[in-house]
Amino acid sequence: MKRVPLSELERIYEALKSYGSVWVRKKNAYETAETPEELLSTVSKVKKPAKFIFLPEEEPLLAFVQDGKNVTFQEVIREAKGVIFGIPPCEAKAISLLDLNFLQGEGEDIYYKKRRENVLLFGLACLAPDSRCFCTTFGYGPFTESFTDIFGVVVDDVLLFEGITEKGKDLVKNLDVEDAKGEELKKLEAMKKEITERVKKLDIQGIQEKLARMMDSEIWDKISSSCLGCGACTYYCPTCYCFDIQDVERPNWGYRLRTWDSCMFTLYTLEGSGHNPRPELKYRWRNRLMHKFNYYPVLYQEFGCVGCGRCIEVCPVNIDIREILMEVKNEPIRA
Amino acid sequence: MLEAKKINKNPYMPEKARIVRKYDLTEDVRFFQIRIINPDLVLPLTSSYKPGQFMMLSIPNVGEAPFSITSTPSRPGVFEFCIRKVGKLTTKLFELKENSVVWLRGPFGNGFPVEQMVGKDLLFVAGGLGVAPLRSLLLYALDNRELFGKIFYLHGARTPKDMLFREEFFRLKERDDFECYLSVDSDPLGVWPFDIGVVTDLFKYVKVNAANTAAVVCGPPVMYKFVVNKFLELGVPDNQIFMTLERKMKCGMGKCGQCVVGHKYVCVDGPVFTLWDVKNIRGLI
Repeated sequence: MKRVPLSELERIYEALKSYGSVWVRKKNAYETAETPEELLSTVSKVKKPAKFIFLPEEEPLLAFVQDGKNVTFQEVIREAKGVIFGIPPCEAKAISLLDLNFLQGEGEDIYYKKRRENVLLFGLACLAPDSRCFCTTFGYGPFTESFTDIFGVVVDDVLLFEGITEKGKDLVKNLDVEDAKGEELKKLEAMKKEITERVKKLDIQGIQEKLARMMDSEIWDKISSSCLGCGACTYYCPTCYCFDIQDVERPNWGYRLRTWDSCMFTLYTLEGSGHNPRPELKYRWRNRLMHKFNYYPVLYQEFGCVGCGRCIEVCPVNIDIREILMEVKNEPIRA
Repeated sequence: MLEAKKINKNPYMPEKARIVRKYDLTEDVRFFQIRIINPDLVLPLTSSYKPGQFMMLSIPNVGEAPFSITSTPSRPGVFEFCIRKVGKLTTKLFELKENSVVWLRGPFGNGFPVEQMVGKDLLFVAGGLGVAPLRSLLLYALDNRELFGKIFYLHGARTPKDMLFREEFFRLKERDDFECYLSVDSDPLGVWPFDIGVVTDLFKYVKVNAANTAAVVCGPPVMYKFVVNKFLELGVPDNQIFMTLERKMKCGMGKCGQCVVGHKYVCVDGPVFTLWDVKNIRGLI
């Protein structure tokens, strides 16, 4: 591991800047830093997760230009290049889950891929998990480095860090920094243990199999009864990615726009004919929970949730996904 | 065997095409023949898709939607669609004249497992607009007649004037190498020369070797249960009963999440599913 005192962060900042934009944690979103001091942000959970950088809320996919009777299509790719500094392990893991959808299979998403390839994740250990965090439920924790390119921990007034992926290692190699000291590494280990234990771990063993047998359960009525269907949970969720594609018309031109969508909305599955395969909120709730805790595991052997607690925080009626998981776990199955 | 060729490197980029022929099948359903403009792509694309696959058809500034291909790859040159006017895009499409430009991408979806059907008897049941994907498979089977056993085609419509491809099926009915039965639910004008009643009544004509039959159904959601029961009564195995479904779709590639049913994407793992799938994945129909 390498070390750099926090007072000398500009040395790292310059190196990161040479790579492109440097996004840092602000209260509401990841924003590009203007000064090295901004790397010192102490925001522990950015309201809008980093998925906003890889999968913007709206992005034009194609533009059409009308020239008389002739229309031509042009590919529009919104690129992003740089480093996200300070991304916590939960969000880095969430991005690895988005990769499963966007980078696998035949329809590899070139829009997502272009940004994903050019944006490095400089992760920082999460030193302040809050009461809604349950990341350790999913087999990783606030100090897990494996989903990032470079991973660091702030110990007292020093940043310790190391390259994880080839790209990350290359970047670290070119920095003029010293090796971490023995006592710092020792302290890091102690912090890791103490902070990881602070996160409340849920026991969700067997939830995937349990859910598979609960398609017809009455639990969906119960769960959805207080839900307003506002979709805030899916908006802030770092792993939700469902989208819609619509055309936007302008005089003599227009564009095909990809926008986020939410499985909690009535219109989400409504077909042109008027038929709606998920006509009530309970079916939409079933789909949302199943997608994260049954379908994703079936498809990719990974849960589609990282336990960041954003959905709990933003829900206007205090629906808590942890309680729901426990309800599911405790619900008897009738034969 | 058929292996669909894809159009573009960027799967969202559509290919320019032209409406070469259109005419009304009923009051609100129109038949479209659409030809890809790039001459190098016409044959590769229109000879390689599988019956049961669909294309995303778009009009710039209006939108894009999935439509079953109703033509057969055994008659390449154009893509044919059978489209009902229901929403924004289809309304605009109905305003277009012949030779207008539209845009296509695809084909998408699994299509019917034609290879598995070779050597089997085929039993089709189409209801209303459900004829669209089934016509593709039927014509493919008729064009490769020696590959299949007996072929029974049952088609139901609400009234004689709602029957899609009426003249075509009247003509096909005269062939003696397959059995074609047409019925209408009611015949208010008293002009219908064939059966009157629900489509399941036509099962009385069916004589197939059930264990070696591929049974295919497409129609309005309410029809599936009744037809599938008939298939089962005949003794067709679960994994040889095929149904093609529809869902709202946006990407066609299993990315956007719109058509997800269970852990299956209707656009990639479907739109053709077996009864076995339907029994094991709740919410498909």
